[in-house]
Amino acid sequence: MIKNKILEKSIWALWLGLLALPFMGKKAGILAIAILLVILLLPLLNGLIARFGISVSRLNFLSSSANWLKTNKKMALLILFSFAAILPLFMNRYFVDVAVLCGIYIVLALGLNVIVGLTGLLALGYIAFYAVGAYCYALLWTHYHINFWLALPIGTALAGVFGVLLGSPVLRLRGDYLAIVTLGFGEITRIVLNNWDELTRGPNGILGIARPSIGDFIIKQPIHYYYLILAFVVLTIFITTRLEHSRIGRAWVAIREDEVAAAACGVNVTLMKLLAFATGAAFAGLGGVFFAGKMIFVSPESFTFMESVMVLCMVVLGGMGSIPGVILGAIALIILPEALRQFQFYRLLMFGGAMALMMIIRPQGLIPSQRRKMELEEENG
Amino acid sequence: MKKSLIILCAFLIGGLISNCQQKKENLTKIGVCAPLTGDQAKMGNDILNGVKLAVEEWNTKGGILGQRIEIATGDDRHDPKEAISVAHKMVNEGVIGVIGHFNSSCSIPASFVYHDASIPQISPASTNPQLTSQGFKNVFRTCGRDDQQGSIGAEFVINELRKKRIAVLHDKTTYGQGLADEFKKNIGKSNRASIVAYEGIVQGSGDYKAVLTKLKSRRPEVVYFGGVYPEGGLLVKQMRELGMKAIFVSGDGVIDPEFLRIAGDAALGTFLSFGPSVKEIPHARHFIESYEEKYGEIGPYSVYAYDAANILLSSIQSAGSTDGEKISEAIHNIRHEGALGTIQFNANGDVLVAPYIFWVVKKIKTEDGKEKLNFVPYT
Amino acid sequence: MFLQQLINGLTVGSVYALIAIGYTMVYGILEFINFAHGEIYMLGAYLGIIAIGLLTAMGLGNSSAFLLLAFAFIFAMVFCAFYGVTIERLAYRPLRRAPRLAPLLSALGVSIFLQNFVMVTQGTRNKVFPQLFAQNGFDLGNAKITYIQIMILVTSILLMVGLTLFVNKTKMGKAMRATSQDQKMAYLVGIDVNRVISVTFLIGSALGAAAGVMVALYYGLVNFHIGYTAGLKAFTAAVLGGIGNIPGAMLGGIILGLVESLGAGYLSSEYKDAYAFIILVLLLIFRPQGILGERLKERS
Repeated sequence: MIKNKILEKSIWALWLGLLALPFMGKKAGILAIAILLVILLLPLLNGLIARFGISVSRLNFLSSSANWLKTNKKMALLILFSFAAILPLFMNRYFVDVAVLCGIYIVLALGLNVIVGLTGLLALGYIAFYAVGAYCYALLWTHYHINFWLALPIGTALAGVFGVLLGSPVLRLRGDYLAIVTLGFGEITRIVLNNWDELTRGPNGILGIARPSIGDFIIKQPIHYYYLILAFVVLTIFITTRLEHSRIGRAWVAIREDEVAAAACGVNVTLMKLLAFATGAAFAGLGGVFFAGKMIFVSPESFTFMESVMVLCMVVLGGMGSIPGVILGAIALIILPEALRQFQFYRLLMFGGAMALMMIIRPQGLIPSQRRKMELEEENG
Repeated sequence: MKKSLIILCAFLIGGLISNCQQKKENLTKIGVCAPLTGDQAKMGNDILNGVKLAVEEWNTKGGILGQRIEIATGDDRHDPKEAISVAHKMVNEGVIGVIGHFNSSCSIPASFVYHDASIPQISPASTNPQLTSQGFKNVFRTCGRDDQQGSIGAEFVINELRKKRIAVLHDKTTYGQGLADEFKKNIGKSNRASIVAYEGIVQGSGDYKAVLTKLKSRRPEVVYFGGVYPEGGLLVKQMRELGMKAIFVSGDGVIDPEFLRIAGDAALGTFLSFGPSVKEIPHARHFIESYEEKYGEIGPYSVYAYDAANILLSSIQSAGSTDGEKISEAIHNIRHEGALGTIQFNANGDVLVAPYIFWVVKKIKTEDGKEKLNFVPYT
Repeated sequence: MFLQQLINGLTVGSVYALIAIGYTMVYGILEFINFAHGEIYMLGAYLGIIAIGLLTAMGLGNSSAFLLLAFAFIFAMVFCAFYGVTIERLAYRPLRRAPRLAPLLSALGVSIFLQNFVMVTQGTRNKVFPQLFAQNGFDLGNAKITYIQIMILVTSILLMVGLTLFVNKTKMGKAMRATSQDQKMAYLVGIDVNRVISVTFLIGSALGAAAGVMVALYYGLVNFHIGYTAGLKAFTAAVLGGIGNIPGAMLGGIILGLVESLGAGYLSSEYKDAYAFIILVLLLIFRPQGILGERLKERS
């Protein structure tokens, strides 16, 4: 039995080595041996951990902390918030800058979560709304000198309007088709930004956007941006949580579960879907305006299809429909490549591998939505 | 199942801690920021190798201010937001100067960070005029500006080639379009030639026959291209496949041995603007020999990166300090004899004379009697 | 000029069609978008170059160009078929019962992984495909067609005819069609569904590899990130023809190639990438099932 297993594993290692052979030459042999060692030693390591009494299954700290959050909600939120508030005081500016990026992506991912996680509409061109927000502030400032705080509601609203405009013709499409059309819209947006030289200055991008300021105080250092984005994150979490538990949120979930049944129960499906698109897009617009204010330079390169994919990954990796999950997903996907920086060339190789591995090991996400979890368990049971 | 989470967390924490390392003493760090992975990784690594070569030479001569020089690399994946993160990381690691970034869209946002920390930044490749027109005293570039090269190209086509019908293509990047626009503007000033077509192409799409067929119907005598060598090679090859006989003219982004390999014999008779011939610059021969020995073929921006690093290091030497403002001042005053010729900077941080001449692709006999394509200075 | 654009479009279109078949076959059976398929095409292009390099190193570099090319095709197709099957086995099969976005993400992970695997092992430089054939061709009125273009068209047509015969005439083909109609039912009547899926990946990947070798030969230039754009375009082509439908993918690929060529030739080439998506968006709004597709049932 055990012999067979070892044999099977050796065959796998040999096979993978063979696949790598044309690309790696002789080094493929080393790779095969390395793979073999890893897959042979993995169960041993597992046993070692178990022997030391750290039962892996009991280290369910993420879910248990989520449960704890549920019972002591206010307290936990307060602790988390104060932790987030004092965090940058102990970090250097590089970490603070990465934290600011995390913040932007949390806002984006929570927005996309409304569309994908709650309403169940798979959107792949989400970054287009982010671009709308960013270019909105960039153009408003360079042409009309409209400041950050005024541009914020305008950009947010404009992105929301875009959401409705794009949403209305495509909403009768379902599932993957919707995904593909939104992907198309996203790419068209980027191509137009890159080619409409008169308005967007094409690939040169727009330079000379003003930094946000409060009175005479100009928001300039990463730490200033950190507190600004923290405020936006808190606002986003507040709004999305309230929405989720409102009548609208339940209508969204109903649509996700069964559109026909939802319509039969009196949910205005079209209106609700449009609302989901508008809400999600508006958060992206908010993030976009902030992004323009932080970078003080926007160019089409920031709004590629890969960005849409990254945001979607955050939502799925964290757990669709679960707000703490999505936040964790965003943080993980921003920090992981940064943490892997020291590996230089191997950084994205490891990132890609980790992503596939994560999905295989935990397809429901890091912190699955409670409601979804119950459904999944029912289905399996 | 949870195991993976633990591994993930350990991974993250481990990575962060190792990233936290404080700078060691007796080391002078300079930063190299460029796209080291992703679709422009080749260009980024060309730059990194150029800097590495310079640093190694300095280190064998005993380092700088009595300290060894170390390179801190920053991979921006040609993404503006990563460029800012990387810039903050550079500031954090206490680098004394930065060579980078590659793309103008990364150099510009990053320059705010370097300016705040008054760290000198020398870009070897960002040609967008906006970069040095911000009034920053610490920002320089060793490459030319798009507007400088474009006017030389236009003059060459009108006065040397004496052609009248000219088609302009660009690759829709800051560099390519900037170059093509300047070329077009200068052609427009003259009444001896006219633009018969002006088109953008999509970088990386590989198939340009559609747009070339369109150009063919306008019967141009010269096709001027603003862009880099992969597209340049494909364009000239596909032009000949379509039976177009127009002369292909382009800029320094196309001068790369790979251009010749991609285009093959189709490249014959192509004119390219670039720095002066190696034989006239004593330092260049040394650079080419040692670079090729260590890293293989030279990329178009390796030499700009090599000179940028040398300029930075000699300025640190002459400033006698690691203070950013003093170094920036020293760079402004430098007169550097490098592989690109003599480099001096104007008040903006642009090179004073962009020494461009035209090169032509010809077949030359190699030592073993075979014929080989190569770039030859045009006289 | 129109004839020339037609030739240009057909050449590119037949390459898109070959890649699109891989997307459509997988979608037809597993109903998920295999984002890593574009990378298979990229691997194919690299493997073609590696194969020729291998022969040259063995001293066979001077044998006939057709022989070299045939070896490159077989080498790339076999290895890519292995890659396709292995990826399915490792990254998709464990996820067959998972929430439906999970395999999509896993595929993206694989795609990033493969791209960087090639970058790390083969270097960041472009690879140049050795020139096996002269670039010349012959005139067709005032248009020109090169021998390589003819070869691409002929090879694509042969492969597509072969595939159609396989799907329609063989027992395995029948099993594939049955599985794509109803997986559970196919399983109940005794079809080895796992084997069918493996064969699907095998064939799709081999065709993608063939497309890769042909493109490498046609342009003479390969790098590790060509899979991304080509994959996106081919995927568009698959949807255009009606995803899940093999003749649809072929038609979609060719239409896409023509639209791009004519668009770039008569409108603006800057927007070349946008035409594909504009057509796609319009088509999906007015005829969501694609040109040859059937209306999909709603999926949970």
